[in-house]
Amino acid sequence: MSPLDRRQFIKVTAVTGTAAALAACGNPEHQIIRFIPEDDLVPGVATWKPSYCPLCAAGCGVVARVMEGDAEVFRNGQAGVMRMALAKKLEGNPDDPVSRGKLCPRGQAAIQVTYHPDRVAEPLKRAGERGEARFVPIGWDEALAEVVAQLDALAAAGETAGLACVSRPRGPLRAALVARVLEGFGGRAPVAWEAMGDDVLRRANGVSFGSHAMPMVDLADSRYVMAFGADFLGTWHAPVTFGVGYGRMRQGRPGVRGKLVQVEPRMSTTGASADEWVAIRPGTDGVLALGLAHVMLAAGLRQASDAGRAGAAIAGWSEGLSEYTPARVEEITGVAAARVERLARELANHPPAAVLIGGPALAHTNGLFHALAVNALNALLGSVGQPGGLVVPPDVPAPASPAGLASLLEAAPTVLLLDEANPVFDAPPSWRVAERLRAIPFIVSFGSFIDETSAFADLILPDHSFLESWVDAPPAGSDSSPRVAGPVMRPLHRTRSMPDVLLDVSRRLARPLAGLPETFEAFVSAAAPATPASASGPSRARATADAPAAAAWAPPRFDGEAGEFPFHFLPYASQNFLDGSLAHLPWLQEMPDPLTSGMWSSWVEVNPRTAERLGIAQGDIVEVRSAHGVLRAPAVLLPSVGPDAVAMPVGQGHTEFTRYASGRGVNPLAILAPLTDEATGMPAWSATRVQITRAGSGDGSLILFAGATRERPDTHEGR
Amino acid sequence: MPYRWGMAVDADRCTGCEACVTACHAENNIPTVGPEQAARGRAMHWMRVERYVEGDFPDVRVKFRPVLCQQCDAAPCEAVCPTYASHHTEEGLNAQVYNRCIGTRYCGNACAYNVRFFNFFNPVWEKPLNLQLNPDVSVRGVGIMEKCTFCVQRIKAAKTVVKAEGRALRDGELQPACAQACPTSAIVFGDLNDPESRVSRLARSPRGSKLLEETGAEPKITYLAKLAWDESDAR
Repeated sequence: MSPLDRRQFIKVTAVTGTAAALAACGNPEHQIIRFIPEDDLVPGVATWKPSYCPLCAAGCGVVARVMEGDAEVFRNGQAGVMRMALAKKLEGNPDDPVSRGKLCPRGQAAIQVTYHPDRVAEPLKRAGERGEARFVPIGWDEALAEVVAQLDALAAAGETAGLACVSRPRGPLRAALVARVLEGFGGRAPVAWEAMGDDVLRRANGVSFGSHAMPMVDLADSRYVMAFGADFLGTWHAPVTFGVGYGRMRQGRPGVRGKLVQVEPRMSTTGASADEWVAIRPGTDGVLALGLAHVMLAAGLRQASDAGRAGAAIAGWSEGLSEYTPARVEEITGVAAARVERLARELANHPPAAVLIGGPALAHTNGLFHALAVNALNALLGSVGQPGGLVVPPDVPAPASPAGLASLLEAAPTVLLLDEANPVFDAPPSWRVAERLRAIPFIVSFGSFIDETSAFADLILPDHSFLESWVDAPPAGSDSSPRVAGPVMRPLHRTRSMPDVLLDVSRRLARPLAGLPETFEAFVSAAAPATPASASGPSRARATADAPAAAAWAPPRFDGEAGEFPFHFLPYASQNFLDGSLAHLPWLQEMPDPLTSGMWSSWVEVNPRTAERLGIAQGDIVEVRSAHGVLRAPAVLLPSVGPDAVAMPVGQGHTEFTRYASGRGVNPLAILAPLTDEATGMPAWSATRVQITRAGSGDGSLILFAGATRERPDTHEGR
Repeated sequence: MPYRWGMAVDADRCTGCEACVTACHAENNIPTVGPEQAARGRAMHWMRVERYVEGDFPDVRVKFRPVLCQQCDAAPCEAVCPTYASHHTEEGLNAQVYNRCIGTRYCGNACAYNVRFFNFFNPVWEKPLNLQLNPDVSVRGVGIMEKCTFCVQRIKAAKTVVKAEGRALRDGELQPACAQACPTSAIVFGDLNDPESRVSRLARSPRGSKLLEETGAEPKITYLAKLAWDESDAR
């Protein structure tokens, strides 16, 4: 080959360079279609639009920072790029009575719901077996025609009651519209399902106070707060509102610093912030509450009649609770008699005081008793409705009884609508949800993600994200109407608003449903002032109707003999994922857990003394076995759980929930016993006993955040 | 007088909820690195919550401490940087000029607070997660050291606004993402040159101390101690 001289080299490179440039003209990236912007945008300038966080029932008011950006979208059957208004960040809305300008970590991460890479972008039709999660795209018209055909067939056969709906707890207006559509069709009433929900407390509040609403505490004015199991600063029902109040309770009043006492067998993040942590035996909280009341009554600090209706719900109340002497309380709860005396006097002598109960404390076979006992203690303290005390909002509809999802599944509906609930993952295994879903002829999911439950769907009709649609949140503050906001941005994908899809379907039926609004937007605008939430008059009567006989102490039942299964198994709602519904968000997966710094992991919390006895080291794999299942996870040694218990965060262990959560960790709910609170039928998820054994050394699945301030700055430890 | 930005963190208010951690990710385009890299200690959290567990069951005490760049006045990270990527601004910030950084990681070694994070690879935002990125904050590439900036983009924006409106910055008007999110208002940000600002008053609190003060780095974040309950307080 002749060597290239300089002239030839330049010729050759010039020609190939031009050819490369010409070839680029055929590159599809250079032919991408740009749609004309629909939004009026000023580059680089942010606007702020209100919305409501949908990730838990609190419904924090948020404002989204909106700026322009280039999004890949689909418009009129054509893919292209559009310069559009995009939400960039969520902040608390300072004018909102729930968030008060603040947000929790989950609320901060809520924006990732909209931009998640595994969002269902268009309607899908099942292509594999039920539960396999194999789907193929389908057009909206075809998909809706299929739903209409199924419903028409139901109506023609006169079996409209075969239509059912399961959802996560949603805004009251959205829930009301779904209920109206189902009622208009003749279907079953929709069921809201939340695995670690508060139905036991709602029922107790109906009995004690005539309202099924969740209680709040005006912490900013409280001087003494005692919480039984309620992780109100972390995962309970309104953590941001509580957090704002807590800051003021601690440092918002010159010279006054309120005390927080947390009573629970496993220390929660709220327990970690408490002044005093009382490790109580699981399932005995109500006994301590009544023991405190007994001391107050015996010492004449309060009169039994002060407690009124809430006291009457407790057996032996008017006789001064003679069964609940400090000595007996110590015997049952493990809390020393002298401490019971001291706590009772502190509580009585530092008004305004309030007592809370929730979460794991009520997940026992005798859960309702504990809630009623704490309600009576609040009433005795005179805390209800007082500044700095317990706030019981106006009545809301009572929770379905017992455990609506279980009875719905037993009724074997023909057509099931699923709205973001994921019972295959989080309902008690004894309800055999997967098996029952297999038997349902037609399932439609409106989910934005394919999860364990929507994997069973025949059709997935993806909803808009909350930032792309009209949203509503429960009433809060002095205003009794629901809080409502419009879309923040245009839809990114070929999704449709779930309430609008239902309205569309009801218009397309062979016998269209009458009396329904045109759109959800119209419904929201018209219905916002007149909501069912403030209807306290008639529902008071209903509340008395479900008052049971006076509640008395019955020891909790635990599944598993103490000999064979020596440890209480205490699953808890995770600060990152709550009940597991947020495990798909990468920011939350990588957020270190507050007490362990665990990321992307499952773990079992073991007391160091237990671990030493069983030869378990930090990170070792332990096998946790109940009478109903077995799981393996790495151990984290922590003194914040007792030597007779092990604890596990709920949320990981998804088999099907986007690339970030699938196949990661284990699900503690899967080994729970089929016990329920005997009065309400709600799952008693704290009532399982287990045995644990060391199964091997660490497999690297426990990931802790390594960063820490150097204890000795001259070394590089902790790097 | 120029501003001198500082912060106070009240451990008596902090609940360890980590709202600040996620808020920081959202504001500052901090990537998630995924489980494999996180297991190698490469997770990036400009803001973290440290936990200190004391005692044995059932007498257990836990303290939380949010830790971020302390914006030291005699910062060890600045002295060791060969390219002046890590330098001090006239408003007292430890600034990091990303396009000067050549990734020696000397600054990370020099920092006693472990608040500097190295990009071991180019960050990835799976589409369309990239649409969330804050256009006011640059995305850092492989080989770059990054850390808390006290949300310098917000500082710049606020200064532009007050200049255009011809007025002074009001105390509390400007907040970094962590302070804005914090439900209990444990994090307070402001101008230390204004003796009446909330942060200045908290910095003078008898409960206040600085982290690793003995190293002589002169950190600008004051930590206010968590209190124990005193019965007389609650009367």
